[in-house]
Amino acid sequence: MAEAQLVIEHLTKVYERGEVLALDDVSFSVKKGEFLILIGLSGSGKSTLLRCINRLIEPTSGKILLDGVDITKAKTRDLRQIRRKIGMIFQQFNLVKRSSVRTNVLAGRLGYTSMWRSLSGRFSKQDLERTEVSLDRVGLSEKMHTRADQLSGGQQQRVGIARALMQEPELLFADEPVSALDPATSNSVLQYLEQMNQEDGVTVLCALHFLSLARRYGTRIIALKDGKIVFEGLPKEIDDARFKEIYGEDAEEVEIR
Amino acid sequence: MGDGLCERFGKGEDRLMVRDEYYAGFMQRKPAWMEAFEALKARIAAFVVDYIAIFYLIVIAAYCITELSGYQGSFFPLPWWILLIVVGELIVLWETFGISLGMRVAGIRLRTEDGNTVPFRRSIIRYLAWHISALPAIGCLAILWNKDRLSWHDRMSGTKIEKQRETYKTSIAWYRSSRGITTALLIFFTLLAGVFITEINLHTLFTGASKTGRLWKALFTPDWAVLGEGINLLIVTIFMALMATLFAIVFAVPLSFLAARNLMHGFIGRTVYIVVRIAMSITRSIEPIIWAIIFVVWVRLGTFPGVLALFVHSIADLTKLYSERLESIDLGPVEAIRATGANNLQVIMYGIVPQIVNPYLSFTIYRWDINVRMATIIGIVGGGGIGQLLYHYTRHWKWHAAGTLMLLIILTVWAIDYLSSRLRESLE
Ligand SMILES: Nc1ncnc2c1ncn2[C@@H]1O[C@H](COP(=O)(O)OP(=O)(O)O)[C@@H](O)[C@H]1O
Ligand SMILES: [Mg+2]
Repeated sequence: MAEAQLVIEHLTKVYERGEVLALDDVSFSVKKGEFLILIGLSGSGKSTLLRCINRLIEPTSGKILLDGVDITKAKTRDLRQIRRKIGMIFQQFNLVKRSSVRTNVLAGRLGYTSMWRSLSGRFSKQDLERTEVSLDRVGLSEKMHTRADQLSGGQQQRVGIARALMQEPELLFADEPVSALDPATSNSVLQYLEQMNQEDGVTVLCALHFLSLARRYGTRIIALKDGKIVFEGLPKEIDDARFKEIYGEDAEEVEIR
Repeated sequence: MGDGLCERFGKGEDRLMVRDEYYAGFMQRKPAWMEAFEALKARIAAFVVDYIAIFYLIVIAAYCITELSGYQGSFFPLPWWILLIVVGELIVLWETFGISLGMRVAGIRLRTEDGNTVPFRRSIIRYLAWHISALPAIGCLAILWNKDRLSWHDRMSGTKIEKQRETYKTSIAWYRSSRGITTALLIFFTLLAGVFITEINLHTLFTGASKTGRLWKALFTPDWAVLGEGINLLIVTIFMALMATLFAIVFAVPLSFLAARNLMHGFIGRTVYIVVRIAMSITRSIEPIIWAIIFVVWVRLGTFPGVLALFVHSIADLTKLYSERLESIDLGPVEAIRATGANNLQVIMYGIVPQIVNPYLSFTIYRWDINVRMATIIGIVGGGGIGQLLYHYTRHWKWHAAGTLMLLIILTVWAIDYLSSRLRESLE
């Protein structure tokens, strides 16, 4: 528990286009088993931070140590192994809409599957069984052969979770996973994340908009503002003054239950 | 649980927000040199547009008047360079005293330095000053180093050119604004000149109709003796189209990835993208019938040059259709698949291909449909197929036989058009 699983040191990201400083010397560390919540206004750099860690975006400078190994210098082959350890779910679910639920979930195994097997669509027997187990866990077994775009938003996000489960991840990144969902559905989706966190010991990094949800699910909170960390601590430490500091003077806290 | 309407609502709004967020990221402050350059560019653009419009209007109006009056001499008895200068003067006057067509196109307008309408006296000063400032060019180039983007004649007359981003909300009717009248005149004289140039003559269209009577009769009393030969060649034609389309797919699919802006990053990627785009747009702008002429010279008469012509044009056309589709794919799932640790080929197979198969098939069928139509025409220049025979019969006045072939072509094109639209419907 004590060892830091993920250490970020002086991470900086500048988008060439528009010359935006999206991350400004960000440093923090994450212990195994944490449920870390990232909060901050739109444009504060949450998405950029998550994507820099699994290198969907190339960081400009800084170090990212995953289990003690600096992954900012990882080559393509190693990158593949790093990425498959990190499950990711998205605000817009990012399923392949025309494909079946099954194909979408199986895609979670691509990092483990040889090129030829995946190009011809011959996944191993274990992978097919794993698909059933994963879908069962998110309560969507009977939707296996439905096209992804026929599902509701909440169901699509659960397919996204099943896809992440397929990776047998050590970490899970969730980029505003419930921003496109209504409150009731939001809670059900977050409960799946909580379950992964507590039962499988997956470390979760989750960007959220609503503080009430952050308080309820997070073990720790990091707040970003203009690419800088402006708060790091326990959920209960965020009082009114802190809240205004993060979200600006005019912000009002909205309750979501 | 809770998967209801409410959820859908949220989704739509959120997408908008994400978009704005991204646009905000791309909004950049331009460097000063670029701003200066753009200010100069807008003025030059306005002038060029006005010059072309007015010059064209004068020439075309003169042409129409000569045609109408039957006047034989030159419509402009003075040397040409005088006309060029007169047009120039007209435009400078126009741009000083009102909002010209070109200024409208370039999105600029003339104001006093404090942003009001320009009084008559200042306009006169500006008009005169223009000749000292803009004719030697130096006074105009001053825009590049002047902090407020003012030219010499701007400063001498206390005026400025400002950007006019929003569309004009003036309620002036078109016939009361000079640019409206100019546009109307441009349209009117272009149409009038068009009538003279293409020799539209409704009189002979009606009086000559009776002469075609025999021809029509012949066409509708087909000569069934050529039916067998016709059907044979028809099959050849359809296969020409098919082969050209199938071979074109092999080249167009990979090319389409190279021609998709959203997939080609970095310096090398962008260069390849531009080269492929330009090559394809040149190839596509050469009509199949011209390609057929080229290939007939190259590989001799027959069906082969016809297939080649359709093939080359199809590659360019399909590449364009395919790559446009690629440019509009959802990159979200592509990112998600990459995040699972998939390699590039796997990302294409699982993230991109499912999004494009059906549209690609649909475009291909559509192109095959077009190729069949084209294949019937290409024969006229020696590209083989049923068109070649049809041309042969019409040249030898064998109208009955020609009628049979035309009937066959019409039936086939209709059938394939129907088939192709049904197939494409099922791919929606
Ligand atoms: N692809 C991009 N190109 C340029 N700027 C970007 C890009 N993506 C994000 N940005 C900018 O980077 C900053 C951080 O954005 P982001 O990480 O998306 O924030 P968040 O997820 O917290 O809303 C914003 O100012 C945003 O406009
Ligand atoms: Mg974001």
